[in-house]
Amino acid sequence: MGLLDEKTAPRLKDKERKVLILGLPNSGKTQIYNNLTGTYNLVANYHHTTIDVNRAYYEHGGVLYELYDMPGLYCLFANSEEELLVRNLIFSEEPDVLLFCLDANLLKQSLMLGIELMELGIPMVIALNAIDETSKKGIWIDTAMLSSTLGVPVVESIAIRGIGTRKLKSSIERAKAPKASIYYGDMIEAGLANVIHDLPEDFPFKRKTAMLLLLNDRFLEKDLIEAFGENQYAEIQKNLSGITSQFVGSIGKIVYYKRSEWVDQLSDKIVKTQDFDQRSMAKTFAQMSRNVVTGIPIFCMIILITYLLVVNVANEISTLMESYLWKPVMDKLSSMVPSQFWREFLLGSHGLLSLGLGGAILTVLPILSVFFVVFNVLEDMGYVPNLTVLTRRLFAKVGLSGYSIMPIVLGFGCKTMATFTTRTINSDKEKYIAIFLIAFALPCAPQIGLSMGMLGKVGFKAFLIVFSVLLITEITAGVLLNILMRDDTKNTYLQALPAIRIPNVFAVLKKTYYRLYMFLKEALPIFLLSAVFLFTLEKIGFLKIAKVFLAPLINNFLGLPNEMVDVLILVLARREAAAAVIMDFVNKGRLDFNQAIVSVTLTTMFVPCFANLGAMIKEIGLRRALTMAFFITASSLVIAGALNKVLLFFNHV
Amino acid sequence: MNNNNCTEVDEYLESLWYINEKGQGAVSDICEHTVGGLSEDTHGGLSEEVIEKLVSDNLVEIDDSSKIIGLTPKGLERARHIVRAHRLAERLLYDVMGKNIEDGACEFEHIVTMELVDSICTLLGHPKECPHGLPIPSGKCCELSAKSVNSSVIHLDELDIGKYARIAYVNCPNDQLIHRLNGLSIRPGVTVKLHQSYPTFVIECEGMHIALDNELAENICVWRESEFAYDPKTPEIAVKRRFPFLRKRRK
Ligand SMILES: [Zn+2]
Ligand SMILES: [Zn+2]
Ligand SMILES: [Zn+2]
Repeated sequence: MGLLDEKTAPRLKDKERKVLILGLPNSGKTQIYNNLTGTYNLVANYHHTTIDVNRAYYEHGGVLYELYDMPGLYCLFANSEEELLVRNLIFSEEPDVLLFCLDANLLKQSLMLGIELMELGIPMVIALNAIDETSKKGIWIDTAMLSSTLGVPVVESIAIRGIGTRKLKSSIERAKAPKASIYYGDMIEAGLANVIHDLPEDFPFKRKTAMLLLLNDRFLEKDLIEAFGENQYAEIQKNLSGITSQFVGSIGKIVYYKRSEWVDQLSDKIVKTQDFDQRSMAKTFAQMSRNVVTGIPIFCMIILITYLLVVNVANEISTLMESYLWKPVMDKLSSMVPSQFWREFLLGSHGLLSLGLGGAILTVLPILSVFFVVFNVLEDMGYVPNLTVLTRRLFAKVGLSGYSIMPIVLGFGCKTMATFTTRTINSDKEKYIAIFLIAFALPCAPQIGLSMGMLGKVGFKAFLIVFSVLLITEITAGVLLNILMRDDTKNTYLQALPAIRIPNVFAVLKKTYYRLYMFLKEALPIFLLSAVFLFTLEKIGFLKIAKVFLAPLINNFLGLPNEMVDVLILVLARREAAAAVIMDFVNKGRLDFNQAIVSVTLTTMFVPCFANLGAMIKEIGLRRALTMAFFITASSLVIAGALNKVLLFFNHV
Repeated sequence: MNNNNCTEVDEYLESLWYINEKGQGAVSDICEHTVGGLSEDTHGGLSEEVIEKLVSDNLVEIDDSSKIIGLTPKGLERARHIVRAHRLAERLLYDVMGKNIEDGACEFEHIVTMELVDSICTLLGHPKECPHGLPIPSGKCCELSAKSVNSSVIHLDELDIGKYARIAYVNCPNDQLIHRLNGLSIRPGVTVKLHQSYPTFVIECEGMHIALDNELAENICVWRESEFAYDPKTPEIAVKRRFPFLRKRRK
């Protein structure tokens, strides 16, 4: 969420202007937002980074600007709820200025969205972004011509390096209503006039609404009914079907024909291309990562390198920190605290410092630092969406076509965010399956890192076993759900792949820093609290009782030691805290090869974390989310138990 | 009968086809289908002379009590041919000659013979719909060879990997998809490069890499390479492939 500077806000309240940043997905909107406001939001080189709308203030020339960072979109015709969210915000928020982020690499696609936004008649400023990349490709864009043709200020920008920010601020002051418009031909213009006539006098963006109605936008119905009531809507709809029945063929095709004609003419006018072949390393890598023959080895290599880095480097850091930093301090501390109770409170097996602080800083932080560096490099490169090309057929087998691939792949980053992106899925069945699979056996980035760290201590084989089990579980769950929920709506898979680029070292480090900072800020208090909680539970004897009660389940069924009760309680609070304890058990030799595998598998699936559960409730409602969570928890126990028996069986063979 | 009158008959049949297409009625029991508003919507008023001609040629039937006009099987067949010729002509004028989509193609349909229509259909790769998005009735050629060697237009999934091609038209399987395709600039006239076809099709289109499934790739129709003239806007075509030995051998 964006930083809302409440101190400066009231002072300038009477001189406030609302600015919406719009553009294609991945066109640098969030980057420009960060540059203008000075706040930091995670920027990834793939789509759907902006899920909920970020908002922040900045001041320029005595005017307070309220800046909205909107999710990316391709056109105003809503294909999904997410795109609808953007459109509704534009329509309802009455922005003073639209800041259109025009991706110079994708000029025609951007202009296609641009003309739709310009048709709204809201004052606009264009940030022509990523011009460094186009000039490297030998493409030169005539900014002055673009500006004079459209009648709005155009600012050249390289958002990644913060270039163009100051000019953008002063241009926003001078934003003008664009003068570009398209005449759609006598037939459609007459139809538009006819629909506009039906809309109430004070309705905003009548021409655009009329156009969307002609194009048969299915999301508009709800809004119009809300605005005018059932009766008037029925009247509008009746007239509308009268108007559309006069058309021969698809209005959409003619509208897009007109728009693309406009785009082609404009781009011919402003683009000069040099004649040379651009074959960069990045492009070659992108192609190799999507090809089956090279792509699968590349993927395996990435996993292996990540594993080796996490296990070796993180462990090394952790050991060094322990012996040179932690141990001397703790030894000193323990000699300073005379009381047995307080010593136990601080340094015991459930101590505030040993379990809470130590778990977070000594065990989890090194692994997350190393893992996030690797992960952020991949994210910054734009590698992740290219994976969908390789995995599409597999997804189709479990009933997921098209829209759900990206959310699930994103689930490896953060399950909560991925759950929100399922909004882009049109079919209810697919959305449900996707949310389930994301919440179930899919390990998110910190989980992958920590699992690597935990399993690395007992060997690479353990890592392979756990991740195979998780994969098989996901596939089985997907296939079963697909069979159970018959639904024949077919979704076309059509996915824009971002260009792979050489990762920016500064951006990666900055993003890693913010991710770690967020982890410490969010998780450290939970680590400390859960240590105190466990300590209390132990002192009042609850842990002992729980261990006796759960013994059949934990000892016999799962084959794990009694102490695992602590872990299961910690999972509820924060997965990372549980991981820290498991890692501690492995280090102390209290978990053997089998037990390490079972406990990691179990904790990866066990109960969705709070944030994820919150997202699930928001997307599919409380009842369904809780049913899902219950089912997931139960299955995780069953699967972990079965895994235990299988491993034991192989031990005996 | 003179030629002018024959044209008029054709226009009536075409109008009746349009009206049937818009209504929900099944084409098979056409005689029971209500045909209303014929006089206002189409080519002038109903001329008694033409109606009589239509009836006497057994092309339409009129229900005496309710005054409903319907196509007979024979009339249906004739109308089908006219509409097919009209819509294929639109495709030809729009895709090949770059004519404005609003200009009519009505003069065309009365000139061309059945054989000529089939060869235009083959040339264009048996398109499924006209530029307006209306279905083109299929002909014999379409059933005989869905993917003929004689086509100048081929489906994207038949293109060789690494080759460029210009999009001729897209058979849009559903209405919602038009908006997404246009947002990504996948539209007639645009040059695309096919990067790979397995496990997923990846094309490059106006500087953007796009992954799509087989079904969609089949619905994107492109001009065959020989038909594709050098376009200065896409300089990469002129550049030789760096690894000629990797080139897929063409039959
Ligand atoms: Zn005609
Ligand atoms: Zn047509
Ligand atoms: Zn044919």
